[in-house]
Amino acid sequence: MLKLIPIALSLLLLLAVPHPLQSSDVFPYSYKIEELENGLKIISIPLPNPSIISYYTIVRSGSRNEVEPGKSGFAHFFEHIMFKGTKKVPRAAYDDFLTRLGAGTNGFTTDDYTCYFVVFAGRENLEKVVETESDRFINLYYDEEMLKTEAPVIEGEYYASVSNPGRKLAEILRDTAFEKHSYKHTTLGYLKDILDMPNQFEYSQLYKKRFYAPDNSILLVAGDFDHNQLMEFVRKYYSPWERSNYTLVTPEEPAQAEAKRVHYQWPSPTLPRLAVAFHGPAYSDENSDKPALDLLAKIAFSPSSSLYQKLVIEEQKCLTLYASFDDKRDPSLLTFTSIIKKDEDLPYVEEEIFKELERLKTEPVPAEPLAEVKSNLKYSLADELGTTDGVAGALAFYINLTGDPGTLNKLYGLYEKVTPADIQAMAKKYFVKSSSTVATLSGGKAQ
Amino acid sequence: MRKTMNQWLSEILVLVMIFMSVSCKKENPNNLTSELLPLEGNPLVQLKILLKVGSANDPSGKEGLAQLTFSLLANGGTKTMTYKDIAKAFYPMAASVSVQVDKEMSAFSGTIHRDNLGKYYAIFKEMLLNPGFREDDFNRLKTDQLNFLEKTLINNMDEQFGKEILSLMLYNGHPYHHTPAGTVETVNNITLGEVKAFYKDQVVQGNITIGLAGGYPADFPAKVMADFSALPQTFTPRLSLPAQSMPQGLQFIIADKQTPATAISMGFPVSINRSSDDFFALWIAGAHFGEHRQHVSLLFQKIREERGQNYGDYAYIEHFIQGRDKFPATNYCRQQQYFSIWIRPLANSNRHFVIRQALRELRKLVDEGISEERFELVRTYLLNYTKLYAQTLDERLGWQMDSHYFGYKDFLAEVQLRLPKLGREDVNRAIKKYLNFDNVYIAVITQDGGSLKKALVENAPSPITYTNPNMDKAVLEEDQVIQNYPLQINPENMKVIPAAEFFKKPGIPAENPY
Repeated sequence: MLKLIPIALSLLLLLAVPHPLQSSDVFPYSYKIEELENGLKIISIPLPNPSIISYYTIVRSGSRNEVEPGKSGFAHFFEHIMFKGTKKVPRAAYDDFLTRLGAGTNGFTTDDYTCYFVVFAGRENLEKVVETESDRFINLYYDEEMLKTEAPVIEGEYYASVSNPGRKLAEILRDTAFEKHSYKHTTLGYLKDILDMPNQFEYSQLYKKRFYAPDNSILLVAGDFDHNQLMEFVRKYYSPWERSNYTLVTPEEPAQAEAKRVHYQWPSPTLPRLAVAFHGPAYSDENSDKPALDLLAKIAFSPSSSLYQKLVIEEQKCLTLYASFDDKRDPSLLTFTSIIKKDEDLPYVEEEIFKELERLKTEPVPAEPLAEVKSNLKYSLADELGTTDGVAGALAFYINLTGDPGTLNKLYGLYEKVTPADIQAMAKKYFVKSSSTVATLSGGKAQ
Repeated sequence: MRKTMNQWLSEILVLVMIFMSVSCKKENPNNLTSELLPLEGNPLVQLKILLKVGSANDPSGKEGLAQLTFSLLANGGTKTMTYKDIAKAFYPMAASVSVQVDKEMSAFSGTIHRDNLGKYYAIFKEMLLNPGFREDDFNRLKTDQLNFLEKTLINNMDEQFGKEILSLMLYNGHPYHHTPAGTVETVNNITLGEVKAFYKDQVVQGNITIGLAGGYPADFPAKVMADFSALPQTFTPRLSLPAQSMPQGLQFIIADKQTPATAISMGFPVSINRSSDDFFALWIAGAHFGEHRQHVSLLFQKIREERGQNYGDYAYIEHFIQGRDKFPATNYCRQQQYFSIWIRPLANSNRHFVIRQALRELRKLVDEGISEERFELVRTYLLNYTKLYAQTLDERLGWQMDSHYFGYKDFLAEVQLRLPKLGREDVNRAIKKYLNFDNVYIAVITQDGGSLKKALVENAPSPITYTNPNMDKAVLEEDQVIQNYPLQINPENMKVIPAAEFFKKPGIPAENPY
């Protein structure tokens, strides 16, 4: 029996994609880029999606910017402070406005950027959103008491994932693999630094002055609005925002001279975990090193790969096996991670990962899996871009890297050009034993 | 332009089909049903197979069977393809089949680009209609389910652990009593033959609603319906559930483990679900008291914002699973529901204080109700926020299916009609009718549970300290009241149980198993 939902209703909210996927551009929407005199860049993507608008403010500052000792986790802490309001619109009034708007709103912090979003219905609300959001970025007000009350919330956030061994594995891996660069710590930061946050009022003011400025921020708006009207509002409300002109210098990570290893004993029973990491390149849409490595990761470690099928499906040694080569502004880690079913199989899985990496150095990958991975990347992106918020969220990540939404098409252009020989060359260049760090975690006895 | 005779006839035929389908749905529960959301030009297609059975249909002694069976469909091979073959075939399409299993409802979902619909659907239907039931797939997934119960749930996810203990307390002796993953003992007892038999009994036409959304071809729904019509034409009657049992006083279970942070969940049954007229008023009360991860939540304001105790504090008037972003996930419908409070992990030293604070706030809610100002604010919030609920194809289908489960044509449209008609007095009446503060189940995951038990039973003062030496005076004054707020607890209503004892077999473990 078929039951039909009225078509007119069904057309609401969902997007029509104007270009077929065989187009050379994987990002199928047109966009406009403008820049105010103060350096604030505005990227607008009007979409034929009735009613919903995604309003993202991207501050290009994340835990990467925590270069001073004792300041780990500060970018994330400051994200919390950004919700304290202004003298004109105090916290309670800000909350009241967003509550009445029924907005989906939050912030999140990554290694490289901090993002604030307001997703709401009704273009008639756009001006008020622009006015309110600009106000808190320009006129944020908080005192030392407010900071001291917020600081323990970060401790609570740390506790929220304290029972997760995956977080602990990531902590020890980064801490061991990096010597100097701020990617050494996670976004949450070291617990000792979290506990010291109540004493960091002065530094918080300095942090804001350095990084919460128009020349370090990008406004990304996608959805149901008129570009010219958006720009009218943006000019009106964001123009007073003053530049910072601050230049961050991140410590250069020295080349790793010898292989490293670290282990953590989890206090209670848990499935053992393994991470094998190598130092890799920064994101680039011009150099093909990173794109080639992205494809390598998927060919060798995706569910269709021979290693995954052997370890996860056939031999059933692993619960999970995956590669994560995150795109970062500075050189970062190429990591292979697995949750393993038995402690005694940890060495075997590690050995199999290293064997696979050696094989990639000596044997070019066949053409067929390379084509399959390129296909997977395109269709994954098409799925992600299925809603207004999907478009804004995907683009926010890439915009943080280069400031240019065109980077997405450039990146996928590079993917298309990667050959088996490129992948083999990258394996030889980056999977050097002395550049590796192995982190393991295994469980204890029941309490 | 005038219509031709053929056009007229076609339209009449469609109308007759719609009428017949609605009629058939009422008259013949043995047949498939469907939800269609055609969106011409959309590049994506969403497939969803909704099954009106779940873990509450597990036979006694085989708890975990529904989860294992449906996992095997979504993560195992077909008669003609191994799971390895499927993984290889899906990869270039960026495709997968996801599965979720709740007490009375399960769902298989997949999103696919229309370029690949034919190839994807050919495998999707085989996974559900002709599963391979291979021994190696069965062993792999059974081991994963056991590892989840023995290691992950108890040791790696304390917040979920707390919610599962609350569920054990709410549904002791009830068909909802076990987590869908089952228990170690009962999953160990499940054989591949039992999985096959469960599939044969439960994956039948009358239990299935086929959902399709997006840019699929016009003839696609008929093809899917024809394919799934090969399943047995029968159905599983909706479970006849016993009355839910209210807690008698404040009933605690403390799961004892080594941890620096305490996770707390508390709640009690409520006698209505989303189909009730009173649901809308109670929903406003729930959002006012503890809207999920929103500043409007009163608990969030009192515990996190004013005192910086933890990451967040929320309350719900029905079973809640977070979906995309912070929105409610769909297809977790249940006949019976419960009210709950979720206190996110906080320092062990402050656990007694926060238990008192949450129960005191609950008492204030029941005694004082909602103010006119808050009523108007929260109602406005819900009217606007719910406009964001259904954005993806999966969400659109999911909400539509859930609407029909509870007897609505479109629940989200109903919200826009019903909420403006409510007054503050409706909400306060619902609070008095369905909520209480005397009889509450409380699950606590913490360290040195014996000392917490002692402090609670003795009603010992529970002061807390702050890193901010200049806390707001009103907060400090209220703290004086909270730290001495009396809780009437019968020591016999408080069990301290080693964390490792949970989920070994059905029911609540004995307090001292040694």
